Amino acid sequence: MSILEVKNLTHTYDGNTPFFSDAVRDVSFSVQQGEIIGIIGHTGSGKSTLVQHLNGLLKPTHGEILLDGKDIWENPKQIRMIRSKVGLVFQYPEYQLFEDTVYKDIAFGPKNMGFDDKKIEIVINEICEIVGLKKEYLEKSPFDLSGGEKRRVAIAGVMAMQPKIIVFDEPVAGLDPKGRADVIKMIADYRNKYDATVIIISHNMEDMALIADKLIVMNKGEMVLFDKTENVFKQHEFLKSIGLNVPMVTQIMLVLKQMGMDIPDDIFTVDKAVEFLLRLAKGGNTNA
Amino acid sequence: MLNDITFGQYYANNSFVHKMDPRAKLLILVTIIVFIFLAQNAVALSLIALLIFCGVFFSKVPLKMYLKNLKAILPILIFTLLINLFFTSNVNTQPSWSFELFLGLTITNLSLYRAFYMAARILLLIIISAELTYTTTPNDLTDAIENLLSPLKFIGLKNVVHTLAMMMTIALRFIPTLIEETQKIMNAQKARGADLESGNLIERIKALIPILIPLLISSVRRAYELAEAMECRCYNGGEGKKRMKQLKYSTNDYTAFFIVFLVCATTIAVNFIL
Amino acid sequence: MNNIIEVKNVTFEYEDGDKKDIILNDFSLNIERGSFTVILGHNGSGKSTLAKLLNGLYKPAFGEILVDGISTLDEDKELEIKSKVGLVFQNPDNQLVASIVEDDVAFGPENLGHDPLIIRKEVDEALKAVDMYEFRKSTPHRLSGGQKQRIAIAGIIAMKPDCIVLDEPTAMLDPKGRSEIISTIMKLNREYNITIVLITHFMEEAVQADRVLVMDDGKVVADSTPKNIFSNIKLLKDVGLDVPQTTELLYLLKKGGLNISTDVISIEESAKKIYDAIHLEEK
Repeated sequence: MSILEVKNLTHTYDGNTPFFSDAVRDVSFSVQQGEIIGIIGHTGSGKSTLVQHLNGLLKPTHGEILLDGKDIWENPKQIRMIRSKVGLVFQYPEYQLFEDTVYKDIAFGPKNMGFDDKKIEIVINEICEIVGLKKEYLEKSPFDLSGGEKRRVAIAGVMAMQPKIIVFDEPVAGLDPKGRADVIKMIADYRNKYDATVIIISHNMEDMALIADKLIVMNKGEMVLFDKTENVFKQHEFLKSIGLNVPMVTQIMLVLKQMGMDIPDDIFTVDKAVEFLLRLAKGGNTNA
Repeated sequence: MLNDITFGQYYANNSFVHKMDPRAKLLILVTIIVFIFLAQNAVALSLIALLIFCGVFFSKVPLKMYLKNLKAILPILIFTLLINLFFTSNVNTQPSWSFELFLGLTITNLSLYRAFYMAARILLLIIISAELTYTTTPNDLTDAIENLLSPLKFIGLKNVVHTLAMMMTIALRFIPTLIEETQKIMNAQKARGADLESGNLIERIKALIPILIPLLISSVRRAYELAEAMECRCYNGGEGKKRMKQLKYSTNDYTAFFIVFLVCATTIAVNFIL
Repeated sequence: MNNIIEVKNVTFEYEDGDKKDIILNDFSLNIERGSFTVILGHNGSGKSTLAKLLNGLYKPAFGEILVDGISTLDEDKELEIKSKVGLVFQNPDNQLVASIVEDDVAFGPENLGHDPLIIRKEVDEALKAVDMYEFRKSTPHRLSGGQKQRIAIAGIIAMKPDCIVLDEPTAMLDPKGRSEIISTIMKLNREYNITIVLITHFMEEAVQADRVLVMDDGKVVADSTPKNIFSNIKLLKDVGLDVPQTTELLYLLKKGGLNISTDVISIEESAKKIYDAIHLEEK
């Protein structure tokens, strides 16, 4: 059974709100435990609206969200408890920090979910290892930390609820290369440690090629593709037609192919490309 | 794109009233408010009412917009009506008739008259104010206030006027941004299990802390960055500043002034005659 | 005088309580008039401080900075300096003052006390330069990040600056916004002849620059043409900079023994280099 199933999800905003809001139309997909799912699409394609349904922040206009086969809105009074099952890390999460120590801030989520103090302490120790926060940081004020460190604390605050599914909206936005690599690594570590399911929104196709098992492609509020990452990136022409790119390294491969070289169409990471091209250059068997 | 300014009550259109100088509208508003209270009898008040309804007609704002506005103040209106109806003390004149309801609550012809007057005045006040906000953007209003207050600079209040106007401009600019930000922070804390909906008063106030603190910190950061950006754009407290949009009275405004003057003069006359 | 900005032996310290951080130490730099200079550096390399020093927003503790020959320490010339060197920041939201686009763009010239009719002209021209003229009556919170940032740039252009310094203007934008800003910057440099200093940590934004500086820990560690800088990928990686996949690929192929240079960034050029290198190898 899939851990998460989205069935015919539609969300329309009433016209009264003066702000930009993106509608979502008839989206259905299901996610298996342990998968890493990427969501790509333009700003305004409905990605953020979609993920805010997964933990019950938004209520579908039509359709339903099934978690372990059960509709999350079955008992609307209990919707708050869904949030420890589906964690959601917003864009620039460091802007949500508010406590006077890092420890207390990370403990906010687990406390709300009714964890006892002993359990909170154990969880925080585990999570700090995953996000790479040293023990001495826990008693510091989160506002004295650097930007990258604040991001870690904020992500830890959601991870500490130990959600089985964790959703990230642009987790690396605004970070420098070192910070980006660190965040990508902690997401993978979290999944491996807790056998969790991960959903990531990102504009960065290169990151997606590295970590995502499957991709959801959103365009104008509709899900236009949902498939294994390699199958999605193979459809470079279609992606281009809705203004999305494949990873740069794949674009190079496509040009080389046009120049008459014999290039397979499943190269999406630099490592794979290097391996293939070096073998080709040394005259080895490229089909291996 | 012209219809984009949804903030505030502004109803985009291109009517006679919309095109008037915001200063003229503001001055006329103040004048009419004064005369709503100066009008001593039904005829005088009807004259003012007629003037206001002409304005409503020329503003080309749907009547239903005005009604929506009235609905919001209905409780206040009814409250005033009742207070005046039952608690009007008659010192000078004896009422020609009176009617006792219960518990000593009495309606007299005088209190009825007075209640009706108060209700009518409040109604007119609301309508004329709504007319201004429907036809004038908050930005134009800010400009008009700054301009009208500018004589204060001769008594050494120059900085006060400029600072006030700058504050209003920045507030108008940042209110939507801050509303959006509040929403974002609320969602982020809800995603961490924050319970904003249940509990007693104290619990609810406590639940606001995780929202207010990040909002405050972010506002301070914004203020700091904005101050630097303003400095980079040669802002130095309004010294030697000139406005791109110079306010100018047009024929429309003079016509409006003239009509308002006529009606007001008649009102005074009617006050004396009747 | 061919330098619009001259930074002479500048030291800048940041005081936090009793802790003193030296951000820049004995730092010197000239920016040539009409040039397009990119300053690369990771967060905390001192590049943002440098940006704020260039138009006198910050004052150096030692040394001096000359803008068009005028020292930024000269308090009587403050407005003149700030109108000659405009500064654009990272977060577009926190730079816009007014709730109507054209009023916001007018803010700079209004402060300078220009004549209302001239301001109108400056505002219209500035909005056209960033391709936002049709949005002049719109309100900033309805625009996308890239559009807001272009309005912020227009607000600077309306002051008719000789030079614009942009401090990570694309860091908060999506790919579309990012390319809008980069092409706007290029246009301003090539068509309007405005000197550009672009501070960023994205190496691919440096491709079309005349000159690239790499900063680390308050010092310039490299200063050359984009081609020369990009052929030294190891240096860029050592200072923690973003290297696009194209460059990364060429770099790894070179490391793997292929005779290939890493001084290009575009997809087509990279493919061509790889093609040539592989065919050379086969012969």
